[in-house]
Amino acid sequence: MPTFKLNDKEIPFEPGETIIRAAWKQGIEIPHYCWHPGLSVAANCRMCLVEVKSQRPMMLPILKWDAEKQDYVEDTKPKLAPACQQAAAEGMEVSSTSDQVKQAQASVQEFLLLNHPVDCPICDQAGECKLQDYWLDHQKTLKRKQTEPVHKVKGVRFGPTIVYDGERCVMCTRCIRFNDEIVGDPVLDMRERGNTNEIVLSPGRQLDHKYSLMNEHVCPVGALTSRDFRFKARVWFLKAQTSVCSGCATGCNMFVDYDPRDQHVYRLRPRDNEAVNKHWMCDDGMLSYHRYHQERIVTGRVRTNGHLADVKIDVAMREAAALLATVEKSKIGVVLSAQHSSEDNFVLAKLAREKFGTDKLYLAALPGWDGDKILRHNDNNPNRAGATLAAGGPLRTVKDLLADVASGAVEGVIALGWASAEDAVALAPLSRAKVVVSLSSNEGALPNTATVVLPVAVHVEMSGTFVNAKGMAQPFKKAIQAPPGVKSAWETTLDLARAMGLGIDFAKLDDVRRAMPANTPAASNPGAPV
Amino acid sequence: MGKLVNKPKYTMMERAYLPEIARGLGVSMRHFFKNTFSRRSKSEIVTVNYPEEKRIYPDRFRGVHRLTHRDDGSPRCVACLCCSTACPAQCIHIEPAEYDTSDPRYGYERFPKVFVIDELRCIFCGYCVEACPCDAIRMDTGVHVPPSTDRAHFIFDKEVLMSIPGADGTYESENPRHEPGDPSHPGLTRNHGH
Repeated sequence: MPTFKLNDKEIPFEPGETIIRAAWKQGIEIPHYCWHPGLSVAANCRMCLVEVKSQRPMMLPILKWDAEKQDYVEDTKPKLAPACQQAAAEGMEVSSTSDQVKQAQASVQEFLLLNHPVDCPICDQAGECKLQDYWLDHQKTLKRKQTEPVHKVKGVRFGPTIVYDGERCVMCTRCIRFNDEIVGDPVLDMRERGNTNEIVLSPGRQLDHKYSLMNEHVCPVGALTSRDFRFKARVWFLKAQTSVCSGCATGCNMFVDYDPRDQHVYRLRPRDNEAVNKHWMCDDGMLSYHRYHQERIVTGRVRTNGHLADVKIDVAMREAAALLATVEKSKIGVVLSAQHSSEDNFVLAKLAREKFGTDKLYLAALPGWDGDKILRHNDNNPNRAGATLAAGGPLRTVKDLLADVASGAVEGVIALGWASAEDAVALAPLSRAKVVVSLSSNEGALPNTATVVLPVAVHVEMSGTFVNAKGMAQPFKKAIQAPPGVKSAWETTLDLARAMGLGIDFAKLDDVRRAMPANTPAASNPGAPV
Repeated sequence: MGKLVNKPKYTMMERAYLPEIARGLGVSMRHFFKNTFSRRSKSEIVTVNYPEEKRIYPDRFRGVHRLTHRDDGSPRCVACLCCSTACPAQCIHIEPAEYDTSDPRYGYERFPKVFVIDELRCIFCGYCVEACPCDAIRMDTGVHVPPSTDRAHFIFDKEVLMSIPGADGTYESENPRHEPGDPSHPGLTRNHGH
């Protein structure tokens, strides 16, 4: 592979690659605003200017301030090139830290902050803002402009998800290019020029496509902010955990941003993975964190006199074990869930096959949604493939279960998860079974038909694995603590087995993963960052 | 191991006890009569009759907190949470909110819906004042937290904090900043068609 030198360090590149991209692949950042690895090159912010060494450099005449003479004197400086547009060439010598470049970076930075309102106390971007970071890295001078800055629109609602602040905008056009190139919906554009430049909506339109929240994440400053996250939390209080989106079968890699003090998730944001989601995520995926905190089941529930009453978890556990003991083991049907991790499904399937000796395994899943060719998969279940793999055999549908319950082939049901394609009316015949034990994190039609409900953790409250539609097994890590007493579904399954007097020997997650069929993350998803 | 103690040597007079007692009482009585019956300016008393009589505090005395006002009486605070980040006692609780779009103060964007300081937990270090980028929180009131036998009285909410004036009796701050919505704001440079 050919190489070039950046600040005396050899950087390999593929022919045709730009300097900034080759450096970015090596983990070296050349300061930039308008360049984004997933978008086309605009080269309008001029922050990435670098000096390309040459035998015959093009020297530009300039006037330089001479402090002794107290006047401008004639001088020259080498012409700098934008690293985002300049293609790398074999043997090229590039500097992003020479005095000329440093001066250019400081000047660009000062220019961008000329009319910036510096309302960082109000701005949600504060703490993760490129203007703040680069001011500290490349400028560190006070404002020289004494006059009133140019005022523009503030707090404009671009749509249901995004708020625009014209004063903070640096006109990098990342949002315009994102909507054009990635979404294919050119809803944003720029108007005017100079310091009255601003981003506007297409006439009669709103920023309301399915990837609108990504605009907040492509914006390097606080010009586009999320209405969902607006004023909810300060980013310096948040910790990020690597995870995988549970919204659909694409399995977008993401960060879970949570506040460790109140164990609350405040937002989900995309994590780069070229093999899966590149740099993007959809709105429904990013907003799916509401499910972690809303309509949660945090206590055990036992059906008494026809309706579910809250009881302590261990009481519900004993009740579930006692009721299941009244049913012949081979007549217990086990419903796996496409919403739960492979580990959860594997342990439950193992209990069914090895301890109950039943092969009556079913799969509950959401019915699907409107997918597209960008990221959204038609199947809105994150782990249908993983659940099928973990079960070690074909799974039947919930409709088959209802038929089996009606025919008397199944008298007891253990159902994992809240999600099912069938609604409460369709699931009503399930109540003919002697006992239905539901292991569920959230409210839903399935837990509502149960005789006993045991609460379990949602996927950000545990470590686990999702297998996406491409068959890539992607691990995710525990971010927040589950509500008190609530454990992950595989641990709850083990507790239930123990309460029934059936032992399965798993002490920790690694034991489960070792016993699982060969869908280990490393083998099938080599490109995934861990 | 024992420790060797050097016992002081007393004279015969000291060991007789009573003469020394009389001498000590004499010193006390001398100060008592001098400070009780001489004029105040010549007195050697360093204590004051608090609370009837109060010391003059230095200008930089850190008293109870206050929240400064804008011209229209709304809080200067924008709920940026810098003070609660800096607070070592973690006694400040803020919940930010946004003015309604129809409110003329919508341009201020952000205000504290809830602003609570637990004055019992506060250690009066003044870091919140240092951290505030808007000159919204101040400790220049020159007064102490009023004593009470009820803990709830020390939980100061936004209304209480905004009702306390500074030592000079005003509620304003030095912050020259004007947001859209302020009468002093120069306004947008041209009409916008949003």
